[in-house]
Amino acid sequence: MSGIRFNFPAPELDQSIYDLRSEVRTFLREEICNDRFTPVTDCWCAGVDLDFSRKLGQKGWLGVTWPKQYGGRELSALHRYVITEELLAVGAPVHAHWIADRQSGPLILSSGTEDMKRNILPRIAAGECFFALGLSEPEAGSDLASVKTRARKVDGGWEITGTKLWSSGAQHCQYMTVLARTSDPLEGKRHEGLTQFLVPLDSQGVAISGIRDMSGLMHFNESHFDSVFVPDDSVLGKVGEGWKQITSELALERSGPERFLSTFIVVEHALVRAASDLDARQAAIVGGIIARVRALRAMSLGVAALLESGKSPDVEAALVKDLGTRFEQDVVERLRAFRPILWKSGNGDVLDDLMTDSLLRQPSFTLRGGTNEVLKGIVARGIGLR
Amino acid sequence: MNETDLLILDAAERLLSDICTTEAAVRYEQGQVPEDLANAILDSGLPLAWVPEEFGGVGGSLALGFELIRKAASFALPLPLAETLVANLLLAVSGLTVPGRWTALGYDGGELPVAVRGEVNGTIEMASGAHEASVIVVPVLEKGHLRVASFAPSTIDMEHRRNLAGEVRTRIILRSAIPSQLSGRIENLTEDGLRQFCALLRAVQIVGALDRVGELTLDYVAERKQFGRALGKFQAVQNRVADIVGETALAGAAVQQAVRTVSNAERPLRGDRSTAIAIASAKFVAGEAAQKVPENAHQAHGAMGFSYEYPLQHFTRRVWSWREEFGSEFYWSEYIGELIQDEVQSGHGDSVLGKAWDLATR
Repeated sequence: MSGIRFNFPAPELDQSIYDLRSEVRTFLREEICNDRFTPVTDCWCAGVDLDFSRKLGQKGWLGVTWPKQYGGRELSALHRYVITEELLAVGAPVHAHWIADRQSGPLILSSGTEDMKRNILPRIAAGECFFALGLSEPEAGSDLASVKTRARKVDGGWEITGTKLWSSGAQHCQYMTVLARTSDPLEGKRHEGLTQFLVPLDSQGVAISGIRDMSGLMHFNESHFDSVFVPDDSVLGKVGEGWKQITSELALERSGPERFLSTFIVVEHALVRAASDLDARQAAIVGGIIARVRALRAMSLGVAALLESGKSPDVEAALVKDLGTRFEQDVVERLRAFRPILWKSGNGDVLDDLMTDSLLRQPSFTLRGGTNEVLKGIVARGIGLR
Repeated sequence: MNETDLLILDAAERLLSDICTTEAAVRYEQGQVPEDLANAILDSGLPLAWVPEEFGGVGGSLALGFELIRKAASFALPLPLAETLVANLLLAVSGLTVPGRWTALGYDGGELPVAVRGEVNGTIEMASGAHEASVIVVPVLEKGHLRVASFAPSTIDMEHRRNLAGEVRTRIILRSAIPSQLSGRIENLTEDGLRQFCALLRAVQIVGALDRVGELTLDYVAERKQFGRALGKFQAVQNRVADIVGETALAGAAVQQAVRTVSNAERPLRGDRSTAIAIASAKFVAGEAAQKVPENAHQAHGAMGFSYEYPLQHFTRRVWSWREEFGSEFYWSEYIGELIQDEVQSGHGDSVLGKAWDLATR
């Protein structure tokens, strides 16, 4: 018996992590008491507040794991974990910097040029430079290797042409990391010949237009690249190895607290209304939510601990995302026992707005960053069924 | 766990895979105690894992004992190893003599019998392990304090029944019963703490059994062919197996976390709030998995999994029993909700906002 029994070890939490948590909590409590931000459901995808991002930068809470010379603090991934989960738990508006801090910064660190590291990383860490992901396309969703965006080699650089879809927040980002085909797919080797580029969004030939989602929010974008020139040193990593880069980042991307906390703030506000007088059914519902969130967090921290110790827990990470995203959807349904979801958002009642926004945003949870069908496929492969 | 713990686990695994077949579970359900298996386990000293060395035990960690329990459940061990471990622990912490045979746990999470001037009165609806045991261990209340009593089986009224997994559960009626041993007050043991500890025991067993349900399913869908290919090649079936793996992993993570919390607690049987919430969560999540995992496993197995012959059903019936014992999902989720309400009401203007997160991270 070993193949399908997974281990989720406890991460090593030293005093500095406890201190950091209480520092972040104190700061957030003060921000909330002084109404400096409005709590947002799905805040890491829907809550944009550039001032707030800058404030986190000033606090030194962005890019914390990066080398000091690039604006980081050389703290552990667990320090970052604690910061991000505290922010998510209060629905803080963290979308603007989220991708840059989680993904693009680390990508630049591992695959970028020295110039990029010097010029861009300190600005990300300061909460002033934001990134969007250029992965999906009109014809390429779950089947990402079928992207049609081309990068053609020209004198001194590359010329990118194509359309990227669903890139969140591109309207306020300075950069997009764009996955493009740099050579034709060979039979049976379609994952080769893909390359990631760093593209400044103010480049000539870039046109971005917003797409409204069913909740009414305009955070998605369609980004057109019409013969956009980028110099040779915009290539992230090696030409043709973009796929490997993207898949190697996935364990980190899939197992974080944003995969089960997107709607947690709604639980808090439902409790604010009802906690002094819960009936038995409500007590059971909220108790069940707490129990599941604790279990998911134990899993997610377990994956973080495995990553810290140099392992690659891809299957475990896929499990966290599959279970976690379904859970954060389920939270909304269960909380209907506290309050019916009746009204269009914007009536000024915090709980009503959070409930409505959560319900209307939750279909995206099990799609973004790899659909749950794709995730189950990863699990099936991991246990030898594929 | 240290090196010795790992060696013990290794030996236990070998012992169980050699002689603990589901045939033993079948025989046990027909009323025959599998003597070879019983003697081998007693001889191995495993039931004494939680008994300190100075009382003749192994002196193993709580983590070791829970891992043994998980392992035993993954073999559907038809003997009260888990119950004996706890009963022996209770004897040891209360300074009573620990026998070398099976020991029954005369406790089911319900009301405790009451001791007055050395006589015990009360009813235990679902004692476990009482069929094989040479000693019945019963936690009792005297003037609001816990003591531990032990009885020789021949001296008390017992009515054996079987839970839906076929495990013996016994109604014990104590009428002015005189214990063969009665401890003094035990300060580091509370009724809440004991209930929680036993709930964790069942949660760990559920996860152990589910480990095996996943293994059986994976093997079955890899071998069974329909429409010209293995069932496991169909995406619909793969998704079910992935769900089995996921729910088991989730319950496993919750249980691991609860075991860590209990292991790190200064007084693990006192039932403080941080162990309470960890265990409540573990039993809740394990209880939910006890529904979801068998549902998917049986669907993947087709009619074969429904037959008595095939091993799956032993594990299914066990997790369906264990999820009810020492508090179901319904009990423990409400317990957590009430804990929140309680803290809010006694919070003296402390902000409610953040309470849920506080409990999620405590």
